[in-house]
Amino acid sequence: MNAAAPKQSKSTPAKTAPVKSTPARGRTLRRVEPYIWIAPSIILMGIFILAPIFSVFQRSLNDVSRTGKLKGFNNFANFTNVLKSSAFSMVLKNTIVWTIAVVVISTVLGFMLALVLNNEFRGRKVARAIVVFPWATTLVVQASAWNFIIDKDYGTLNTLLLKLGIIQQSVNWTPTPAAYFTWEIACGIFVTIPFVTFCVLSGLQSIDASYYEAATVDGAGYFQKLFNITLPLVKSSLTVSTVLNIIYVFNSFPIIWTMTKGDPANTTDTLVTYLYKLAFYNSKPGEAAAVSVIGFIILLMCASVYMIYTLRKGDDDL
Amino acid sequence: MTQTKKPVSMKKVILRLLLYFVVLDVCIITLYPYFSMLCTALKSRTEIFSANGTILPIHALWSNFIDIWSRAPMAKYLMNSVLIAGGSTLIAMLCGIPAAYALARMKFKGQTAFLGFVIVSQMFAPVVLLVGIYQVMLSMGLTDSIWGLIFINAAFNQAFTIWLLRGTFMGISADMEQAATIDGCNRVQSMLRVLLPVAAPGIVTTLIFIFINAWNEYTVALCLISTDTLKPLTVGINTFNGYNMIEWQYLFAASIFAIIPVVILFMCIEKNLVSGLASGGVKG
Amino acid sequence: MKKILATVLASAMVLALAACGGGGGTSTPANSTPGSNPGTSTPSNSGDKIAISVIAAEYGQKTKDWWAGFQNDFNSTHDNIDLTVEVVSWNDIYAVVNTRIGGNNAPDILNIDVFADFQADDLLLPAQEYVSEETYAKFYDAFLEQSVVDGTVWAVPDLASARALYYNVDILEAAGAQVPTTWDELVETCKKIQAYDSSIYPWGIDMTTDEGQAAFAYYIWNNGGDFTDASGNWTLNSDENVEAIEFAISLVKDGYTNTDPANETRYKLQDLFGNSQLAMMIGPNSIPTYIAVDKDPSEVINYGTASIPTNDGKPSVSAGVMDRFMCFDNGHSAEKIEAIKEFFDFFYEDTRYSEWVLMEDFLPATKTGGEIAAAADERMAAWVEIVGSCKFYPTAQAKWNDVKQGVINVEQQALLGGNVKELLDNLQSEIAG
Repeated sequence: MNAAAPKQSKSTPAKTAPVKSTPARGRTLRRVEPYIWIAPSIILMGIFILAPIFSVFQRSLNDVSRTGKLKGFNNFANFTNVLKSSAFSMVLKNTIVWTIAVVVISTVLGFMLALVLNNEFRGRKVARAIVVFPWATTLVVQASAWNFIIDKDYGTLNTLLLKLGIIQQSVNWTPTPAAYFTWEIACGIFVTIPFVTFCVLSGLQSIDASYYEAATVDGAGYFQKLFNITLPLVKSSLTVSTVLNIIYVFNSFPIIWTMTKGDPANTTDTLVTYLYKLAFYNSKPGEAAAVSVIGFIILLMCASVYMIYTLRKGDDDL
Repeated sequence: MTQTKKPVSMKKVILRLLLYFVVLDVCIITLYPYFSMLCTALKSRTEIFSANGTILPIHALWSNFIDIWSRAPMAKYLMNSVLIAGGSTLIAMLCGIPAAYALARMKFKGQTAFLGFVIVSQMFAPVVLLVGIYQVMLSMGLTDSIWGLIFINAAFNQAFTIWLLRGTFMGISADMEQAATIDGCNRVQSMLRVLLPVAAPGIVTTLIFIFINAWNEYTVALCLISTDTLKPLTVGINTFNGYNMIEWQYLFAASIFAIIPVVILFMCIEKNLVSGLASGGVKG
Repeated sequence: MKKILATVLASAMVLALAACGGGGGTSTPANSTPGSNPGTSTPSNSGDKIAISVIAAEYGQKTKDWWAGFQNDFNSTHDNIDLTVEVVSWNDIYAVVNTRIGGNNAPDILNIDVFADFQADDLLLPAQEYVSEETYAKFYDAFLEQSVVDGTVWAVPDLASARALYYNVDILEAAGAQVPTTWDELVETCKKIQAYDSSIYPWGIDMTTDEGQAAFAYYIWNNGGDFTDASGNWTLNSDENVEAIEFAISLVKDGYTNTDPANETRYKLQDLFGNSQLAMMIGPNSIPTYIAVDKDPSEVINYGTASIPTNDGKPSVSAGVMDRFMCFDNGHSAEKIEAIKEFFDFFYEDTRYSEWVLMEDFLPATKTGGEIAAAADERMAAWVEIVGSCKFYPTAQAKWNDVKQGVINVEQQALLGGNVKELLDNLQSEIAG
């Protein structure tokens, strides 16, 4: 607590406490102990996530009937069919645009908002509660509301702007698929910001004020403090929120499904809405599973790059 | 970040004003969709679709907020949502805290592999896993049961719980726990009595996250629950989103209602987010 | 050694968790399933009862209550049967049903629009095995034929709806336009309406994933085209079809329609129509009820109905939509089959059935139901007439799902500027090739 420049000293995982028992039993116990601590979590995820994941792989490699019956290994036909289809490359591109746009913009805005909300000011509690709103709303409802707001014919945004005299006649906010997709991205950002904000806020909250005081005494400016104190200290919570956000946003379903269902002609589809249509509208569960495996591989590659990068750095706060 | 005690300067006043300006803008933008929802919830169907729409309802129909209670078992839905979100938060924490603790305080083989596994477990969207989840639930007799949803939500939130808590725990010096151990506490006791109170902000954040995620979960609940009275709010309010028409006024009234418990919960525990780290324990 | 210990511990915890989960799981439904419907007074869920599970589509606001009442009536008159009906919205029903079937937990009886996929996987029982002769004899033959594969009827119709042209009488009069019977007249009328008031959309089109196949059918059928030829081969890219879709797209391009047909569903069209913002649309017989909801009778628009306009000289074809009941082959005992027969007898009992059909403004699929409905409401009589002569989607074809999504995709691509002929050629070779 004495360092003015708080570069996190390497956290020494606590030396295991002396255990009062015979040395041999103690050692065995100590070796097994960590596994006992993580066991409940592994079991929970093993049963409820790993098993379903296994069944996705199984379906992706099998010829699957329209109602979901497995009919044997089909030599990756599901994958080749998916990759052959004309819509796939567009859907993939959409997914990447969607993920990057939503994650990057919401992380930047969310971080800035956290800095603002970390200040002491009158009404902070209320402001924080308001920021939680978008997150406390079910995505299906949130997306319906947005659709309702931007509707050309009876949308509330047009009504508002008309009454305020900003526009003279109703504007069609979604003249092209690209415009619609942009609104979906905006909605995605809107609901993701609170997640980032509170991740960062919890990190900011744990920074001891003495650092800033010391830095101020040393004559550091606002941005110096931001980059030398704040960023390094919230790095770990920011990383967690970003990594998880990439995954969540990549796999996000309700916003796009509620607003456009990927229409027109897949121009606003992402991998998840595309595979939902494949599975439940086109009755092609095998191909749908193949799409999800492809999505998984993409995410896995991103994650491995990240893991290798952090492990090479020898950083233990990943 | 400008709270040192110096005489009030012009710069400070401007910064303050700027701060309030930004906060106010953020609040207005954030609340706009809810303002629209509220206005719509208070309108009659005719008014919603009238060609010359107004911003505010001409005749505020507060009865819409009452009607939803008789049109659908809202109280039941609410109860179920509370049970599901509360239950999964509890289980996610019970499983996640020990795991995060082990990762932060112990060294063991497969540590990195476990962290990787946790991330990988999140890489499939629930929509993708539906059929698999249903099969698992069926084999355990958990379809059409709130327990099934509690477990699945707890499982889906493990990654977040473990990663965030691990970070929090690692940011806290182990010295005090060691001191406690010397005083005769065992691991569990030292964790409960020394580490967790200090880690409160991280824990509270995690709690809110899990609770909100579980509260908002839709897809799995939709496919798993068939009995109307076991449905959570998210699925239940679909009643107003029917085949022939969407009853916007009821849908939005019910949705606004569904936000309230979360916001109340948040406001109740928000102060822990602030005060938990008052002093000490933070590693520098 | 430690690994073994860890494994043992882990499996012990699995068991503990499973046990606790299983216990919780059984206790929760146990105290909620039987009494699940408020007002149900089933005494106890004794083991000897025959359980029948039904998944039914939610047609409208009244469907849920109707089924709750049905379940109540049925269970209280059939002591040995425990019927549970789950009502699912159309938005979600495919996901719910496919998830259940994929999880090997098909319902006993399903009420939905499609059946061919289930039949292709040998999941269904032939209709005559689970519907009593007496009830079976009630159905219109034309309806039963829609569910035939390989000479066997696999599903029975629960209701039908037919589509016709709806127009706003006041707008057409004010614009000095006549009710169109041909495509040329349609364009003429659209022009007049536009000249009269440019803020009114003359014509409504829905080409969304929701029901874009209906638009496809309206135009091709009224240009002498069809999805298949007489022997059931796909003819998606026939000249008539290309011409018809090009015409529909031209209406959008020329600005006669709602702004965004690829994203505006029929619900929105109905809302626009009901509030005099849309002058004409093709819609189901339930529109009158729909546009009158929450309105004072004096506020309801003055509308009329007519046959769907056709390309010059071609006969006008009404589009029919029919939904079905099917019974999954879950290895039912003879007793259970009897119970299922009782379910259908109960459902198709004439007064109850006509109540079901009239509830959400649909058309009956049984002759006796048709008579009652026609007698109850003269407006209905005309529709009952129409539904007897209308065309249906080729839902008995195993590839119907692909075709349905395919034609919607063609429409949307064409809206974005694609060439209709090329798109339909591609679809045809994809489906038939």
